[in-house]
Amino acid sequence: MDVNRETVDGVKKLEAAILRVRAAQKKFSAYTQKQVDDIFKAAATAANQARLPLAKLAVEETGMGVVEDKVIKNNYAAEHIYNAYRNVKTCGVIWEDKSYGTKKIAEPVGIIGAVIPTTNPTSTVIFKCLISLKTRNGIVISPHPRAKRSTVEAAKIILDAAVKAGAPEGIIEWIDAPSLEMTNLLMKEADLILATGGPGMVKAAYSSGKPAVGVGPGNTPAIIDESADVMLAVSSVIHSKTFDNGMICASEQSVIVHDKIYNKVREEFADRGCYFLKGDEIEKVRKTILINGALNAGIVGQKAKKIAELAKVNVPEGTKVLIGEVESVDVSEEFAHEKLSPVLAMYRASDIHDAFDKAERLIADGGYGHTSSIYLNTATAKDVLDEFTSRMKTCRILVNTPSSQGGIGDLYNFKLAPSLTLGCGSWGGNSVSENVGVKHLLNIKTVAERRENMLWFRAPEKVYIKKGCLPVALDELKTVMNKKKAFIVTDSFLYSHGCTKPITDKLDEMGIEHSVFFNVAPDPTLACAKEGAKQMAAFQPDCIIALGGGSAMDAGKIMWVLYEHPEADFMDMAMRFIDIRKRVYTFPKMGEKAYFVAIPTSAGTGSEVTPFAVITDEQSGVKYPLADYQLMPNMAIIDTDFHMTAPKGLTAASGIDAVSHALEAYASVMATDYTDGLAIKALQTIFKYLPRAYENGLTDVEAREKMANAATMAGMAFANAFLGVCHSMAHKLGAFHHIPHGVANALMLEEVLRYNSAEAPVKMGTFSQYAYPHTLRRYAEVAESLGLSGADDKEKLESLIKAINDLKTTVGIKPTIRDYVPDEKDFLDRLDAMVEQAFDDQCTGANPRYPLMSEIKQMYLNAYYGEHFTEPKMPKASVSDIQSDPHDYKRTYSKAKI
Amino acid sequence: MKFDRIVAVRNNKTVYRSGDLCYKVFDDTFSKANILNEALNQARVEETGLKIPKLHEVGIIDGRWTIVYEFVEGKTLSQLISEDPENKSKYLDRLVDVQMQINSKTCPLLTKHTDKMKRKIAETDFDETTKYELNVRLESMPAHNKLLHGDLTPSNVIITPDDEAYIIDWSHATQGNASADAARTYLTFWLKGDIEGAEEYLDIFCKKSDTPKKYVQKWMSIVAASQSVKGSEKEAEFLKNWVNVAEYQ
Repeated sequence: MDVNRETVDGVKKLEAAILRVRAAQKKFSAYTQKQVDDIFKAAATAANQARLPLAKLAVEETGMGVVEDKVIKNNYAAEHIYNAYRNVKTCGVIWEDKSYGTKKIAEPVGIIGAVIPTTNPTSTVIFKCLISLKTRNGIVISPHPRAKRSTVEAAKIILDAAVKAGAPEGIIEWIDAPSLEMTNLLMKEADLILATGGPGMVKAAYSSGKPAVGVGPGNTPAIIDESADVMLAVSSVIHSKTFDNGMICASEQSVIVHDKIYNKVREEFADRGCYFLKGDEIEKVRKTILINGALNAGIVGQKAKKIAELAKVNVPEGTKVLIGEVESVDVSEEFAHEKLSPVLAMYRASDIHDAFDKAERLIADGGYGHTSSIYLNTATAKDVLDEFTSRMKTCRILVNTPSSQGGIGDLYNFKLAPSLTLGCGSWGGNSVSENVGVKHLLNIKTVAERRENMLWFRAPEKVYIKKGCLPVALDELKTVMNKKKAFIVTDSFLYSHGCTKPITDKLDEMGIEHSVFFNVAPDPTLACAKEGAKQMAAFQPDCIIALGGGSAMDAGKIMWVLYEHPEADFMDMAMRFIDIRKRVYTFPKMGEKAYFVAIPTSAGTGSEVTPFAVITDEQSGVKYPLADYQLMPNMAIIDTDFHMTAPKGLTAASGIDAVSHALEAYASVMATDYTDGLAIKALQTIFKYLPRAYENGLTDVEAREKMANAATMAGMAFANAFLGVCHSMAHKLGAFHHIPHGVANALMLEEVLRYNSAEAPVKMGTFSQYAYPHTLRRYAEVAESLGLSGADDKEKLESLIKAINDLKTTVGIKPTIRDYVPDEKDFLDRLDAMVEQAFDDQCTGANPRYPLMSEIKQMYLNAYYGEHFTEPKMPKASVSDIQSDPHDYKRTYSKAKI
Repeated sequence: MKFDRIVAVRNNKTVYRSGDLCYKVFDDTFSKANILNEALNQARVEETGLKIPKLHEVGIIDGRWTIVYEFVEGKTLSQLISEDPENKSKYLDRLVDVQMQINSKTCPLLTKHTDKMKRKIAETDFDETTKYELNVRLESMPAHNKLLHGDLTPSNVIITPDDEAYIIDWSHATQGNASADAARTYLTFWLKGDIEGAEEYLDIFCKKSDTPKKYVQKWMSIVAASQSVKGSEKEAEFLKNWVNVAEYQ
């Protein structure tokens, strides 16, 4: 103990004291957990040993409370706080999850400004000093003038012990001669304020501009339900109300007793030494406890007998509690207020709801957020407790417990944190709604290392591949699955050309009943899907077979959803998401009623292996792209027999669609080794076989089969890696100008390749795996896999673009949007709307470059007029004066096209 | 100088009338700073547009500091109440109307009520603990900037024959929280022994201004402490009782 410590009795001296604590705390902040725990233990021990002298001093100085009870408070503040936090980590790394690469590091906040009340001066000092020491904080104590000697004495004892145990000298300071000016200065200078006391002081703390943990006043009502154990309830209330003469803020201020047991409770109170005020005695006490609506300071912490004397009421010696039987819970009733003394209001409730109403009002008028209490049989009156719990706006709800001892925690319950500072939440105007403890005095640093997302590879459980495999594959429906009824979804062209016949023949052969819906049109509508679903509902299939291109398969998927989940909402299902696993909407479980088989008749869409379906609302014209793995078909059958007669235009458009699927999946931020392999193989196959399938489709079986497989592989790639901005723009070109989907993609491809390959894009895609803009290299890899040459990646990109354009020309796709949308004015008039919708398309999210709407617009315009994307101006490499290094991605400035 | 008649006599000042003017003549015990401040207050409040006697002159007349202002014909509410006690409620109602008119104005250059109360608390004879409590309470009060009269009693409101209300005596005017002004008026009723009047006044004020009574009550210990500075011995015990209240915890 520093015997030369200068008395702090003025603003200048306080400023100096705060500087001393700050210096001490700087040293303290480097202490280890072991050092801190030793100090914590020594301080708690010293406080514990001083429990009696401190109690005597507090009572003598303040003239309030009961020595024997203050002994318990002091002991509690030392022992229970020590016990609660002895093994709690408060220094350095306190939590770590190595697999997620995240850890939490505890740091002290600095200097705690501690405002100490008159009602519990020594115990509050013990409590606040201990939790400050445990958290390596310095603390400066502002006593109440009425309790300054005892407050300072408690602080000295703890400081002395802490320093002996190794704490820095001066880690605890205090104001010796308190004034509001000094308290305000402390609040301004502290790093965090722990304000316990009346609302005035707590408000000052919150107004200081520093973070404050303040608490509010209580006005605890205790309800005694008809199911309660009356003897336990009454003795608990008396025990709590007389504890330190009622000065704990959680103490009961009123009891609200159920009418059925009122007399019994009254007798029990009387038998246990409480005094029921009679006649004009109630009025006399009323006028004594409150002056102008404020609590008479003269009664705080006094014995019942003394308060009675002040009110000129004669009560027996040894009276424990003065009870006023009153009716009003309004603020105009003096007994309805907090009394901080052994004076209690008692109300008769006609039933439990009346009791709740009264308790609610008492809390609202004087104890928002603090504590409420109820006595009942928890086994038989669970409903009563539930309602009480839901209605009381208090942060502590105590059951069958003396509220003074119960509210401070760890005496009559063992999971409510022990504390002498009880938060009252926003209801009480506080920042904390729980019992204040060490966690409120720490700054927690969370160190989060970069981690990459878990990815996946998902595909239909069965994908059957080979020309002529249909009957073999379908065989399973009977032999393995024992299906009874199949519902076929297709379009009228395929139906009228007999394409469904091989399927129905097989089903007939197996004795599976079937029904065919053949009204699917291109860009299938919700009305069409609803009609199909209606027929499904009537037919009750246990198997759905979708035959066709993307339209038929997508329509089949939607009908499947409507059939299984007629309640599902399309707006919800179409909600955009960033991460399919974290989306707000939970897609309904599919496959409970029917097994879904997809059979493509063209090579391109990939819908047979994807979790996607697009449906158009014919009323609004809005396209709903749905995405969820629940939409993944259960079985895909890739049988080239269905592809042989596909017309040239369809072959070209579908084939280019598959090219765009593979390219976007390969460039996607979510691309994996699994999807890369599929995408590259698909591209190699398409570049080789699409021209043949286009030219000699009716006869070139090999080309058709290769294309069928390539399209499905590309489908699997984008089913898992997703797509990009090319598809976003193509979707809207299709919707606004009715360009076939594959062609629309073909028209945007060159622009997107140039756009995505920028090495200093305005914004890159957001995905943990996507370390830096590297799409130019990715496209170069594609070029390399296709055997395209180039001296560097940029040349390889140019070769790839040329190859794609050549392929487009070969299969008869024209170069610009203008070739398909000659009405320039119409295109320009609706461009902005198209841009906005393209930006908002679900596919945009996986694009390696996050597009600005202005950039999308530019790409549309370029693709319309046959121009090429150019980057906005950027700083020149010379500006940053960095040597160019082609292998250093961080120097992308130097490589950027300027 | 010759005056027509004496209008009012207070402890250390006398108000005379001469023609259309009133002469408030102060005795030597009054500090000239206070006299000038009163005149300045009155001039400032005049600018708010409230109906108050117009200030004409401040100076030394016959060796005495004097404030000269317009004479207002009529009877004070206090006179009216004593002449017509049956209608006391009506006059209290009028008092509150006048008060709300005052409180609806702002007068940014006036002394801040909080500063005045801080000064008064420091000047009291209470112990440090009580002063500490009073200061904490004062600091926690919502800081408003409404015009406050500071001594709005029925005797400071004159009702003219045309039934217009003029408010006089602006020596205590400040800007601050209207509830403090109400608490001050309430206390004045009490000090005059009119407890019923105090309660009735407070009820009317709270109802008309839609103010919960507890907000006004929170000011009472502070205005009582401020009153105690004036040092009337017979009031001392009573005021101490009002001051000695604790905060809820």
